[in-house]
Amino acid sequence: MKTPPDENQIVRFLDGEMDAAEKSAFEASLAADPELRAEIESLSQLGATLRKSMPNGREVPHADFFNSQIQVRIAQEEMDRARESNAPAAGAGWLDWLRAPWFAAAATAVVALLAVTLWQGRSLSPSESSLVLSSYAPNPDVQARAFHSDEAQATVLMLDGLAAVPADRKIVGHSVHHSETDQQVATTTLFSDDGHVLLVLAKDGRNQPRLLEHTP
Amino acid sequence: MNPDMPSPTAPADGEVPDLDLVKRCQAGDTRAFDALVTKYRSRVYNMTYHLIQNETEAWDLAQEAFIKAWRAIGGFKLDSGFYTWLYRITHNVCYDWLRKKRIESDGEFDDSRTEHRVAAGAEAVPQMAPRPDQAMRNAELKARIDAAIAQLSPDHRQAILLKEVEGLRYHEIAEVMQCSLGTVMSRLFYARKKLQEILKDTYENAT
Repeated sequence: MKTPPDENQIVRFLDGEMDAAEKSAFEASLAADPELRAEIESLSQLGATLRKSMPNGREVPHADFFNSQIQVRIAQEEMDRARESNAPAAGAGWLDWLRAPWFAAAATAVVALLAVTLWQGRSLSPSESSLVLSSYAPNPDVQARAFHSDEAQATVLMLDGLAAVPADRKIVGHSVHHSETDQQVATTTLFSDDGHVLLVLAKDGRNQPRLLEHTP
Repeated sequence: MNPDMPSPTAPADGEVPDLDLVKRCQAGDTRAFDALVTKYRSRVYNMTYHLIQNETEAWDLAQEAFIKAWRAIGGFKLDSGFYTWLYRITHNVCYDWLRKKRIESDGEFDDSRTEHRVAAGAEAVPQMAPRPDQAMRNAELKARIDAAIAQLSPDHRQAILLKEVEGLRYHEIAEVMQCSLGTVMSRLFYARKKLQEILKDTYENAT
């Protein structure tokens, strides 16, 4: 006497996981057992109903925001990791920045301007002559000199030894034409004069601003 | 796999194969990962939604699954299916959440898991609108199926979803759920018996 199919055989038949020999034997059992046949028909019908009624995907609400949030979190984690690995060298990075030619030039100009401002304040007194008391340039290759003409009532500052500034260097940054806020996904987008997106900003769970997109 | 069910990873014409994208991810290419997110987000979200039964939590957990996948992708072996690996991560994320929820609620009934909330802007309109009477019958049938699936245990629920909705093979379900083939078959059998018991009148009258 043949044993009735067990539960594993029933599911494997339903799911098409049987090989040809097993399938053939199971179909013979089906032919001989109306109760089993009814059960298989009912379960097959259940499977068809499930597949028909349940799509194998469900569109994520705010799908673009879903992707961008993942990218933001990945970028944050990468930055945190980079910051941790560079932590001992942070001081050196700061010094490198101080040594940059543009910084030396800017610092020299600021110091010279300060000196001129001080001198101009003093020159309000007619009894005092024009004099730049001192100048300081962080870059030792840069020499600051001043020349004053009483006749022209002008002071000329001369900075020798500055590195040339490339003509294509962007100094002023981007010009923001306007911004738009999307309340639904809580983002603010900044646009340039020609309508291109410069920045997309959002807020994280702690209400801190987060950069989502940046056009360099 | 059922013959009418396409392989979850079969690339469409012009689509970059998963393994190529994975290799680029392993080299640090976040754009490639974005492509994988786009490809699998609806499936991953579908899984988290059915397991958690709450849209907001499901959205967060689907995100969490992708973040964990990104962190672990360096160790992904290229000889296995990416989607199976991703589903496994999703499974773990959901089960961790369910475990935590169970501890927090200390066994109390949590009605947020059976409440079907629909977020603003959620996709709720089918692509091809059927006749109103048919649409009503479909919606009613779907609601009954959702309610029946919600009555299954998480293990039975996930087994039946991975089989009937995702179309995974037994060995893939075993890999995702980290159990034996015998356990997969047993879970499928009892999940079907339970659904049959709840839904028999519904689906037999529907056809």
